[in-house]
This record gives sequence, C-alpha cells and structure tokens, in this order.
Amino acid sequence: MSGCQGCKPKNLSPPPSGRDLVKITIGLTIVCLISAALLGGLYSFTEPAKLRNGKAREAATLRALLEVPETGRIEEIRRYLTNDLRAVYLTPKFLIGLDENGIEKTREPVPEGLDEQKRDEWARARQPSRYVGRFFVGKQGEQVLGYVVEGVTTGYKAKVRFFVAMDGQMNLRGVEILEHEEDPGLGGEIVKRYFKNQFAGRSADEVQGIQVVKDPLVAEWKAALESLGPTPLSAWLPQHREELGRHKVIYAITGSTISSQAVTTGVQKTIANFRKRLELLKGAL
Amino acid sequence: MSVTPPTVSVLLTRGLFSENPVFRLALSLCPAVAVTTAVENGLMLGIAVFFVQVLSSMTASIFKKWINPKIRIPVYTIIIALWVTVMDMLLAAYFPSTYEKVGLYVKLIVAFAIIISRMELFAAKNPVLPSTFDGVGMGLGFLLAMLLAGAFRELLGNGSFFGYPLVHFQPLFLLVLPAGGFFTIGLIMALFNWVDLLRGNTLPKASGGHG
Repeated sequence: MSGCQGCKPKNLSPPPSGRDLVKITIGLTIVCLISAALLGGLYSFTEPAKLRNGKAREAATLRALLEVPETGRIEEIRRYLTNDLRAVYLTPKFLIGLDENGIEKTREPVPEGLDEQKRDEWARARQPSRYVGRFFVGKQGEQVLGYVVEGVTTGYKAKVRFFVAMDGQMNLRGVEILEHEEDPGLGGEIVKRYFKNQFAGRSADEVQGIQVVKDPLVAEWKAALESLGPTPLSAWLPQHREELGRHKVIYAITGSTISSQAVTTGVQKTIANFRKRLELLKGAL
Repeated sequence: MSVTPPTVSVLLTRGLFSENPVFRLALSLCPAVAVTTAVENGLMLGIAVFFVQVLSSMTASIFKKWINPKIRIPVYTIIIALWVTVMDMLLAAYFPSTYEKVGLYVKLIVAFAIIISRMELFAAKNPVLPSTFDGVGMGLGFLLAMLLAGAFRELLGNGSFFGYPLVHFQPLFLLVLPAGGFFTIGLIMALFNWVDLLRGNTLPKASGGHG
C-alpha cells in the first residue's frame, strides 16, 4: 500500500513516538549519506574536466578581448595581501613585495620550471599572504598590447565576476561577464553584447565618470553594439566612433537597473584600483 | 486503492493539455513567470525540468518501498537535489557550451512544485515504467507551457521570436516585465479553460496553486 494515508486531513497521524523519531533520523541520515557519497564520487570525476574547460575558455576570452595574435602571449600577474596588508605581486619572472606605501621593497626571481599551482604555493610560502586578485598582460615581444583585469561586484542576487580589458593607453577594449547568478531574462542580460559592449572603445576616464540611465536603448545603437564581438574592436571602432560619442551613457537593461548599475560601478572601481596598482608596478612588467 | 494506472498514451499526453502542469494544475508558476521572457529561456528551462522530472519520478518509484512515509517529502527533495546536482556537474564537465546556456536554469529546479508533486501523487504509488512515462508526459507539458508563454511574451513584448526580430511595431514592453508574466499565464490559462469548455468538459473547481 501507498504511504499516503498520512496526507489526508481526516486521519492526521499522531505525533511520532520516540522510536519513530530514531527511525526517521537514521533513515534521513542514511539517505543523505548515500546522496553525498554519490555526488562526492561524481565530483572527483567531473571537477578536473570542469577546471580544464574553465581554463580553456578563459584563455580564449583573454585573446579575443585583447586581439592577441598567434605570436603574442598572455602573462598572469597575481596579487596577494599579507596579514599586515602589504601587497605582493607574482609576475612570471619576479615576486615583488611592496611596503604599506606601495613602494617596492623586495624582489626575488621566481624559480623556473614550476607549474601554475606550484608557483602560487611558492609565492605564498615566501611571503605569507592570501591571494586577492589577478590581472593579465597581453604582449607581443616586449610590446604591451593591453591589460585584462579581473573584477568582482555584488549584483542583484550574488557576486558577479567579470573581466575588464584595456589597451596600453587606458582605453577600454571590452567587458566580459565570467560568472553571475542574476535572473534569466532580467539581470542575466548583463552577459548580452548590447549591454556589456557599451563600455568598449571609451577612455578609462570617461568610463569612471559615466552615468547609468533608464532611457531606452535606440535600435541603431543596439544593433551597433550587437555587431561588436563578431567584428573585432579594431575594425568596429573606426565605424562607430561618432555614435560612441553621441551615447555618453550606459543604458540600463530594462527592468534590471540594479544589475546594470552594479556592473558599471564594479567596472569603475576595478579600473580605478588597477590604474593605481599599474603605476606602482610599471617597472616590473 | 489499487487503481490500474492509465494507459501509456494517456500518461504521455495528459501533461500537454488536460493536466498541463502550469495552465491546468497551476503548479510551478513562479519560475514560469520569472523565466519566460523569451522563447529560448523557456525552452532551456523546459528541457532542464524535463530531465530532472523523468529521473526523479523514476528514482522515487524504484525506491518507494524503502522510503519511510513520514519522511517522504524530505527524501523526495534530496532525490531532486541529487539529480539537479548530477546534471549540473556532468554538463559543466563534459558539455561546457551547453552548460553556458542551461547552467543557470538547472540550478533553479530544486524548488519546483511540479516535480515533487508528481513524485508524491504518482511515482510513490505506481510501478517504475508508468512513473517514468508520467514524468515524460509532465515534463513535456511543462516544456510546452514554457514555450507558449515564452513565445507570447517575446513576440508581443519584444517583437521577436527566438531572438530574431519579426514584427515591426512598438512592442508592449509590459509583457516582458514580471507583471506581464502573470497576465500571460492568466490569459493562456483562460484559453485552456475555454478550449476545454468547447470540448464539452466542465470547468475545474477553483483551487490554489503552489510555487
């Protein structure tokens, strides 16, 4: 027979006895343990693949944002913070410690032949600190093509993680949303070209003062923004420079002003912090 | 109590119209309203729900003998959460491009009333095969509902279908906003009832819906 006697209101079951309580507790615990074991087993299989996918996708995103040619390369700079709040930077060649005023204090070469994870462990062992963020430098030979900075902001529901790309002259090359949990169809639209591409092509100074408005996004400007991505920025910008000058605002996603504002503020803060840090690190990159 | 289960064809099709989860049973209305701003969103959520519904109904039916009736609801919830997480992990690891599109929707499913209600009302009392077919039917019904609501809202609210601009008029933007979702569901629900009346059935008695 089914177990649905208890769900008819007329024969409400009496409160469970002590014996029942024990049985229920044991039963639920077993169910949870089995589920956890299954998920744990699956996780150990899927997680490495998931991380690999993430890395591959990240590399492709970085190259596209900076238009790095085949012959170019991308270097990761990791930032750490010690307990007494001094910044430490790990570049491909050096581990650089700054003092509390941001003046370079220590510089030691990174041992060769370490993979990414080993380098990270080495850095944290040399300078007891925790990882707080990173950015990337796109290079061809010794020429800097641009920077991509990872930023985080608080969206409508949870954290939004994104990349901001800039060229060597501090003009924005684009914004890419990496991770978010905004609502599909509303805040989730921040990943769409018509929103995120509104930052591209503007100077860092302009973006830092830019306003988010609730005005409707006109069709031609939307179409132009949608075409950036399939068309690389270097080809897109000359055609749309005049339009970019006419729309000196960020048009919020309709119904999702909070998400739009959150991304904009996040981008602004990320740029401001990055410019300060880059000034300190100029010689080391 | 031992009722013979409906035939396979009934099980597979009743979710589409006569017992459509959204428009007839009024279940899972919150996600239906929140996500159906465009056909694509509806489709993705529909597909994700379909798989979780089938797998969860199947699992509940297989293990029904061992599930203590006093704790069946928490156990059902764990079963759903288990399948949702399994799907999430597998998609993220082996189908990254699909995951980019569907990942967001998969995580929403744990709290869907339609899935747990099929487990409680059907899978807990029926053998594995009919339960699976019931899951398929209800999953398809939910998918259809998502597509209808998504198409209506995208077409009138945004002037497009599947992202392609289609009609050229000032779109009725209200329909894309959450309030428009309620209007849409209400209108399609009325349409379903009207068609049902035309087919010679009487209207269902008023009853409350769930999230």
